[in-house]
Amino acid sequence: MFRRLGKLVVAAIALSPAQLFAHDMWIDPTTFFPESGQIVGLRLRVGQDLLGDPLPRDPSLISLFIFEDATGRKPVVGRDGADPAGFMRVATPGLVVVGYHSNPSAVELTPEKFNQYLKEEGLDAVAALRARRNEMGAKAHEVFSRCAKTLVLSGPASDGQRDRILGFTLELVAERNPYAIATDRELPFRLTYENRPLPGALVVAMSRVNPSAKLTARTDSDGRVRFRLKQAGMWLVKAVHMIPAPPGANAEWASYWASLTFELKDAP
Amino acid sequence: MRVPRRGLSCCLVVGAASGFAALMLICGSVARAHEIGTTRVSVLLQADRYQIEIATDATALLEKLEASAGRPPSPYKGSARSEAWLATFDEIFRRRLKVAFDGSDVHPRIEYSVSPQTDTTSPPLATVRLSGGIPRGARDFTWTYSWTFASYALTVRSDRSETPLTEWLEGGQTSKPFLLSGAAPPIDRIVAAWRYFTLGFTHIVPNGLDHVLFVLGIFLLSGRARAVLWQVSAFTVAHSITLGLSMYNLIAVSPSFVEPLIAISIAYVAIENIFLSEVRSWRVVLVFAFGLLHGMGFAGALKELGLPRSDFLTALLTFNVGVEAGQLTVIAAAFLLVGMRYGTRDWYRRRIVVPASLLIAFTALYWTVQRLPF
Repeated sequence: MFRRLGKLVVAAIALSPAQLFAHDMWIDPTTFFPESGQIVGLRLRVGQDLLGDPLPRDPSLISLFIFEDATGRKPVVGRDGADPAGFMRVATPGLVVVGYHSNPSAVELTPEKFNQYLKEEGLDAVAALRARRNEMGAKAHEVFSRCAKTLVLSGPASDGQRDRILGFTLELVAERNPYAIATDRELPFRLTYENRPLPGALVVAMSRVNPSAKLTARTDSDGRVRFRLKQAGMWLVKAVHMIPAPPGANAEWASYWASLTFELKDAP
Repeated sequence: MRVPRRGLSCCLVVGAASGFAALMLICGSVARAHEIGTTRVSVLLQADRYQIEIATDATALLEKLEASAGRPPSPYKGSARSEAWLATFDEIFRRRLKVAFDGSDVHPRIEYSVSPQTDTTSPPLATVRLSGGIPRGARDFTWTYSWTFASYALTVRSDRSETPLTEWLEGGQTSKPFLLSGAAPPIDRIVAAWRYFTLGFTHIVPNGLDHVLFVLGIFLLSGRARAVLWQVSAFTVAHSITLGLSMYNLIAVSPSFVEPLIAISIAYVAIENIFLSEVRSWRVVLVFAFGLLHGMGFAGALKELGLPRSDFLTALLTFNVGVEAGQLTVIAAAFLLVGMRYGTRDWYRRRIVVPASLLIAFTALYWTVQRLPF
C-alpha cells in the first residue's frame, strides 16, 4: 500500500525555487514530551522537507488555535507577532492534541508553477480539470487554508490515548497513538474533508532525520492510509486537497493543507 | 544623509517584533492575509554605495544552509559560535540571493552576525550585512532572496528619497526595479512645493509676529509704493541669501545670537520711523543688513520643519516664496486698512505712524530682553 520514494538527491534540490509556492506548514512544539505542568511553545513553520521559516502569531490568519486534553478544549494563547505563535500549559498527563486552522490566504501563481505544484501534491483531478478546460497555460488564483495538528505526550503512553477529531475542513487523524507503538510498525491515518473520509488523496510522511526519503500513499475508499515509520525522531504527515473556489472567493481554486506532527522514540 | 549601520541594524532587531502588527496592517490593507515570516530586508542606497541588511531567524537559516551543503546539523545552534559557523556557508548563501543594478549581478561584501537569545523562547536572530559600490551610471536596483519560504518585507531607502519604499515579496521572488534617479513623480513635487509654500506663508501669518512687525515698520515709514518696494526688495534679497546659505550649511550662526538681533532690528526700524519722515538710501542698506539676520531666523525655523532630500531646492524656494507671500499679504492688508484711506492725511504720521511705531518698538525691545541668552 505504501511505497518508499528514493532519496531525492540532496535537500538542495528540494529547496529549488521551482517549488516556491508549494510550501508545507506544520506545528513544531518546543517539546513533544512535556512534564505535567510544563509550558510548551507552539511554533508554526512554513517550508519544505521540514526546513521551515517561523510564522509569528498573526491574529488575522488564525481561525482556530486550540488544544485538547482529557479535560477538554482550550485556546492556545500567545502574543501577536511573536514566535512561538502560541503557548499551552500541559495540566494533566496524557495525549494533548493541538490544532491550528487558518483563515484563507490568497496567492497568484504562474501557469508553470501551478501545474508543477499540482503534480507535486498529487492533485491529479485538478490538473485534469484544467486540461479539459484548456487552462493549463493560464495563471491560477488560489486561496489556501492551513489545517495543522500536532500530538504531544505528557507522562506514560498507552493504547487508550487517541488523537482527536477537531473538526477541521481537511483533517489528518492518527488512528493509533504514535507514542504507544514501537518504531518500525505501521501507523494508520485517516484523512477527512468536511468530516467525511476523503478517498484517493495523496498523503506524504517524512521524518526530520531524512526528509528527502518520503513515504507516500493514496487514501483508500475510507480515507485511510498506513505508513511504516521506522525512523525515530520527528515526523510530518501531510495532505493537500483542492476544490474549485466558492463564488465570491475571488479565486478559481481553494486548497486545504492538512498536517500532523509527532515524535517517535527509538525502538525498544 | 548617511544612516549609521549600527542604527539600521538596531532598528531591524528591535523593531522586528513590535513592528510586526503594523506590517500586518499594511499588508492586510492591500491584499488578503499572507503568511508573513520573521525575515526583514532593509536596503540603503547612497550616492555610490549600497548597504543591505537581512534580519532573519538564525536557526532556520542555518538549517537550510546545512541541508543545502549536505552537512550535519550545527553543534553551535544558539551559541556564540554559530556566527562563525554561519560564515562558513558564505559561498552557498550567495547562490540564493541576487543584488543587481540594471539587471547585472554585483558581488557584495557579506558580514554575518548572530545575536544571542534574549530568553529561552525567543529565537536567535541572524543579521547578514551586504555592501558594495553602485556601478557608475546605474539606473535601477533589483533584489532576489531565496532563503525564506514565507513572505517578507523589503524596505528600500535612498539618499534621494525622503520616503522609504516597502515591497512584500515571497522567497525567491525578484523585487520591482527601484529607480536610482529618485526622480519623484511630478505630483509629489507639486505637493511638496505647495506644502513648503504654505509653511513659509504661515511662518509669517499668523505665526511670525516679529517678522510681521518688521514688515509693518518698513511700511509705516512711507506709504509710497516706491519706498516700500525698495525696502521690501532689499529685505527679500538679503533673507533669501542667508536662508539658502544656512540651509546648505555654508553658514551657521547660533539662534541665541540671531534671535535677539532680529528683535533689535525691529526696534531700530520702529524707532527710526519716529525720527525719520522719508526713506533715505542708508535705510535701504540697513534693511538689507537686517534681512540677512531674518534669513538666518527663517533657516532655523525651516531646519526644525525639515526639508525633503529629494526636493530640497524645490522646498527651499517655495518656502521662501511663501515667506514673501506672507510679507506682501501683511503690506497689502496694512495698505488696504490704513494706508489707502489715511496715508495722505495730515494727521497720518502723528496719529498712526508714531504711535504704531512706538508700540512696535516697545514690543521689540521687550523681545530683545526676553531673547537674550543671559
